[in-house]
Amino acid sequence: MPGSRIDYKPYDDNTQLARYIDRYPLSFTRTPLAPLVPRPLTLSERTGPIASDQFALGPMDLSRAAADAPRATGQLIQISGRITDEDGSPIPNAVVEIWQANSAGKYIHDADRHNAPVDPNFTGEGRLMTDAEGQFQFFSIKPGAYPVLESGWWWRPPHIHFSILGRSWMDRFVTQIFFPGEPLNETDLLLNAVPDRDVRERLIFQFEGTSMGEVNAMGFRRDFVLRGRRQTPELD
Amino acid sequence: MVVSPYCTIGPFFPASFVGGHDDLTHFRGGTARGQHIVLSGRVLQEGGVPTRNTILEIWQPDANGIFSSCPDADPGFSGWGRARTDAEGWYRIRTVVPGSYGDRCPHANLMILAIGLTHRLVTTVFFADDPDTVRDPVLDCVADVAARRRLFARRENAGEYRFDLILRGENETPFFLD
Repeated sequence: MPGSRIDYKPYDDNTQLARYIDRYPLSFTRTPLAPLVPRPLTLSERTGPIASDQFALGPMDLSRAAADAPRATGQLIQISGRITDEDGSPIPNAVVEIWQANSAGKYIHDADRHNAPVDPNFTGEGRLMTDAEGQFQFFSIKPGAYPVLESGWWWRPPHIHFSILGRSWMDRFVTQIFFPGEPLNETDLLLNAVPDRDVRERLIFQFEGTSMGEVNAMGFRRDFVLRGRRQTPELD
Repeated sequence: MVVSPYCTIGPFFPASFVGGHDDLTHFRGGTARGQHIVLSGRVLQEGGVPTRNTILEIWQPDANGIFSSCPDADPGFSGWGRARTDAEGWYRIRTVVPGSYGDRCPHANLMILAIGLTHRLVTTVFFADDPDTVRDPVLDCVADVAARRRLFARRENAGEYRFDLILRGENETPFFLD
């Protein structure tokens, strides 16, 4: 069965965000008091819904509703990357979901109370499947920054949310990826909730330069390493 | 290679990514075999306050105890699902009573993704008439008897099971090391 031979180690706190963040709204009230319970991994945890739904391979264009529709306002960007496991093996057919604010820092969501304008040409969401090499590619608009209103001080730097359904229940992955060189990166509670700079770099896109031609976009890349390592080599 | 850092799902997960995934019993034009049920409950945080706008995901075997990633699984059953809690913290998922297999008692894997949580929280809900007689390699990791019982869904009416997730505080749900 796919994934059933792969070993999954618990996340290493040295390479992850802190589980509890001082000053982060709701961090305290939702973090369990009791220690997390160690358990064996059985078939149930080692399997997952890979390719249970079929989505296009991409590239997917979030910057407009259709090929002949007007583009959303803002800087056109290309977002690309590759998803592998800890051994560097690509993960094909992973479902990649992204969502983000528009160029003014506004989400299409009933929980967004920020008084920035909605862009009628931008929904800010897209979903695709990785190709045989584990690669994904989106076109979008560079998101704007926005205030966390209930905090009274915190502004989120531009970022794009990623949700990835990989090979199993164990490598299900959610994160946010930031843009290089943004001044708000220095004060963001989430980006700075990591123990060292190397880890922080794994949450920031690499600028890949500009493209000239039919599509003129700034390129940003972020590869992802999902948890999982082969216990034994494939026999066939 | 070093595993990528997890980060919170935040408050703005698109509604369209949730829509339709809360029904596991109809999949690819088919209808799931087995007993169709509604699994619902509340997600609560410190002080019993509802945890609203939270994403809950589920992964479970079909009525015969076979996972949908396996070729002989029920083609009308999804195995995976997703729901969002409402203003009162309620989630609601249509599924089937999972079958047992091997040494695993009927169960479903659950995950909570929420603003405030940098990592997901994972637990397992069990289905049995008499929780104290159940032996299961994952359940048996929870030593405290009262905490063990909190991992069982409660049958309320025909076809309706209730399972609350208390993230922190009194009667806290056991969560597993991830």
